[in-house]
Amino acid sequence: MWRYVARRLWQAIPTVAGVVLITFVLFNVVGGSPAAMVLGQNAGARSLEEFDAARGYDKPLFFGNWTDTRALDAVDFETAAPGVRAQWGAGESGWLRLEDGQELALPFAFQPPAGERWRLTIAGRGAGFPRCGKKFSTLWKNSGDFSTVWKKIFHGMEKPAFRAEGGSAEIRSVKLEKATRHFFDSQLVDYAGRMLRLDFGTSTSLNQPVWSLLKAGIGPSLALTAPILVVELAVSLTLALLCAYRRGSWLDRGLVAVCVALMSVNYLVWIVFGQYVLAYRLGWFPVWGFESWRNLLLPVFIGVATGLGANVRFYRTILLEEMHKDYVRTAFAKGLGEGRVLFKHVLKNALGPVIVNVSLALPFLYTGSLLLESFFGIPGLGYLSLNAIHSSDVDVVRAVVLVGALLFTAANVLADVALAWVDPRVKLS
Amino acid sequence: MSGAADIRDGAGVSFGREAWRRVWASRASRACLAVLAIFFLTALAGEIANDWYAWRDATPPWQQQDLSVRYQAPCAEHWLGTDGLGRDVGLRLAQGARIAFQVGVVSSLIAIPLGVLLGCLGGYFGGKTDDAVIWLSTTFASIPGLLFVLAIAMVVGKGLLGVFLAIGLTTWVGTCRLIRAETLRQKERGYVRAARALGFSHGRILFRHILPNVVHVAVVSFTLRFPAAIGTEVFLSFLGIGAQGQPSWGTMISSARLRLWQGMWWELAAVTAAIFAVVLAFNLLGDALRDALDPRLRAARD
Repeated sequence: MWRYVARRLWQAIPTVAGVVLITFVLFNVVGGSPAAMVLGQNAGARSLEEFDAARGYDKPLFFGNWTDTRALDAVDFETAAPGVRAQWGAGESGWLRLEDGQELALPFAFQPPAGERWRLTIAGRGAGFPRCGKKFSTLWKNSGDFSTVWKKIFHGMEKPAFRAEGGSAEIRSVKLEKATRHFFDSQLVDYAGRMLRLDFGTSTSLNQPVWSLLKAGIGPSLALTAPILVVELAVSLTLALLCAYRRGSWLDRGLVAVCVALMSVNYLVWIVFGQYVLAYRLGWFPVWGFESWRNLLLPVFIGVATGLGANVRFYRTILLEEMHKDYVRTAFAKGLGEGRVLFKHVLKNALGPVIVNVSLALPFLYTGSLLLESFFGIPGLGYLSLNAIHSSDVDVVRAVVLVGALLFTAANVLADVALAWVDPRVKLS
Repeated sequence: MSGAADIRDGAGVSFGREAWRRVWASRASRACLAVLAIFFLTALAGEIANDWYAWRDATPPWQQQDLSVRYQAPCAEHWLGTDGLGRDVGLRLAQGARIAFQVGVVSSLIAIPLGVLLGCLGGYFGGKTDDAVIWLSTTFASIPGLLFVLAIAMVVGKGLLGVFLAIGLTTWVGTCRLIRAETLRQKERGYVRAARALGFSHGRILFRHILPNVVHVAVVSFTLRFPAAIGTEVFLSFLGIGAQGQPSWGTMISSARLRLWQGMWWELAAVTAAIFAVVLAFNLLGDALRDALDPRLRAARD
C-alpha cells in the first residue's frame, strides 16, 4: 500500500512541473512584466527597472548571457516610429547618419548604473564606421558598402562614445544589454527556484507578502466552503438515493427535471436574487459582512443550491449503474427488501465514485468561491483573487493558481489512494 | 413483408440519421431545437444589425440613451422595458445573444479541434505520444478552472479575445479525454485492423476511418460545453473583463443588479429568462443527443 502511495506521488511530479511551466508561460512569457501596469503611465524607466529587478523580470526568459534593459530602448532605424527617430536626432527616414567626427548621443532613460556589465551594440556601415567588430550581414556586402557591428562593453557611469572617424557613418540599429550573472540566470530558473522555496513574492496592490495574505484568507474561505461541501454531499446523496429508490416514478422524474432546471439558472442570478429577495426584501439573512455564523447562512445556501442539480444527477447515475449489477438481482432474489439492498449493498459499492468526486472537490475548498465571497463580503481567498485580478496583482493571482493546482494534484493522489483503500478490486501494481 | 421492410430500413439508415430520428422523436427535444433556433436567429439578426450600424457609422438603437424614457416597465413601445439610460432592454438582450453565441462558437472552434486532435493522436499512437497528451491534459486539468480562465483573461487583456482564449484553452481537456477513450476503443475494432492489414497509412486510418466513428463524442461535448461557455462569458463580462462597450448578458446583469435594489426588476428578469431558456435547451438537447449517439449509456440510465 505504501509503495502504491509513493508511486502515485512520484507520478505527480511531472504534473507539478507542468503546472509551474504553464504558469510561467502564462504570466512571464505571455504576460510579461506588470511594472507599467502597477506603477502607472508616468513611472520613470529607472523605477520600472528596479521593480523588474526585485521580481526577477529583468532576466532573460529562458537562458542567455545578456538581457534587455529599460535604460535605452533598442532601435532599428528602418522601422522606427517618427517619435523615436526624433529622440535620436535622426532624419525623416533611412538610417541615422553621422558626419565625420560627429559623436552619437545616446538618449539614455537613465545612466546605466555602475557595478553591472553593459554591452552596447551598434550596427551600421560607412567609411567612418569604426572597424572593430565583425560583419553582421552578408546582404549588404553586394552593395559595396562595408557593414559592421560595433560592440562596446562597459561598466556603467563611463560614457560609451561612438564617433564617426575618417568619413561619414550610417547607423542601422542600436541596442543596450545588461550582463546576466551566468548563462542560466533566467526568469524560468529564478521562478522555479522561488516556487521550490514557496516564496510567492509580494502583493503589489496590498504591499504584503503573498504568503501572509494566503494564510489570512484561508480561514474565511474554509468557513464558507467546508459547510457547502458537507451539506451538498448530504443533501444530494439523499436525493439521489430517493431517486434511485423510486426510479421511474413521478418523484424521480420530477427531481431530475428540477435538477436540470437548477443547473440552467445562472450562478450570478442565484446570488443577485438571493441577496435581494431573501436578505434584503424578506430580511431572513444578513445582507453583507463577516461577523457571525449567521452571515454564512445565505452564501452556504446559495452555494449548495447552485451545485445541487449537477451533483444529484451525478450520484443518481452512479447509483443506477450499480442497480443493474448481478449482485443486486441476487439480493432481491433472496428476498431482501428494497431499502436494505439500496443502503447495505448499492450505496456501499457506489462509494468509489462518491469518494473520488468528494476528494476532487476538496481543493476548491481552498480557492474559496470567487463570487460568493465578493458579494457577501467574506474576506477569503476568492475575494482576494478577484481583487488581485482587478488590480493586475500578478503575484497574488499566480500564487492562488499555483497552490490551487498543487492541492488539486494532491487531491488526485488522495482520491486514488482512498479508492484503492475502500475497493479491493483496484489493482495496486 | 413488414419484417423485411424493417430490416431494409434498419440497414439503409446511417448511424447519424438514426440518432437524429431518435432526438427528433421526443417532443422535449423538438422544443429545445426550437428555442435554439430562435437563439441562433436572434444572434444572427443582432450580428447583421451590429454590422449595419458599424458600416453606417451610426449609433445603434441599443446604445441610444434617452433619459426621458428611462426606468420604463415593459409597455407597448418597449416590450421588455428600458434600462437606467433609457435604452431598450429587448434590443440589448438580442445583442447579448449575439455575444453569447459568438463566445460559444469561437471558444468551441479553439477547444474542440485541439481536444479532438490531441485525443485522437494520444489514443491511436499510444506510448510516448499518449504520455505527452496525458501529461498536458492532466496539467491543464489540475489548474482551478475559473481562476485559470480569469488569469488568462487578465494576461490577454480586457475584451472578447481574452474570453475566447480563456474558455477555449481551459475546456479542451474534457473533449480530449473523451475522444482519447473512444479512440482507444475503436482502435481495437475489426475495421481498423482490416485497414491496417490493407497497408493504409496512419494518417488515413486515423482521419478517414477512426475520426468519423468518434466524432459523435465531439458533437455531444459541443452541446454540453456551449452552455458552460455562455455561463463563463456572463461571469467574465459581469466582472468587467469580458465584452467592452457592447451589451452582453453579463454586463446587463451587472447593471441590472444595482437597479434591482431600486425596484427595477425587468432587466434582470429578462436576462435571467434568456440565459435560463438557452442553457436549459442546450442541457436537455445534450442529454438527448448523448442518449441517441451512445447506445451503451442508454441501458445504464433506465
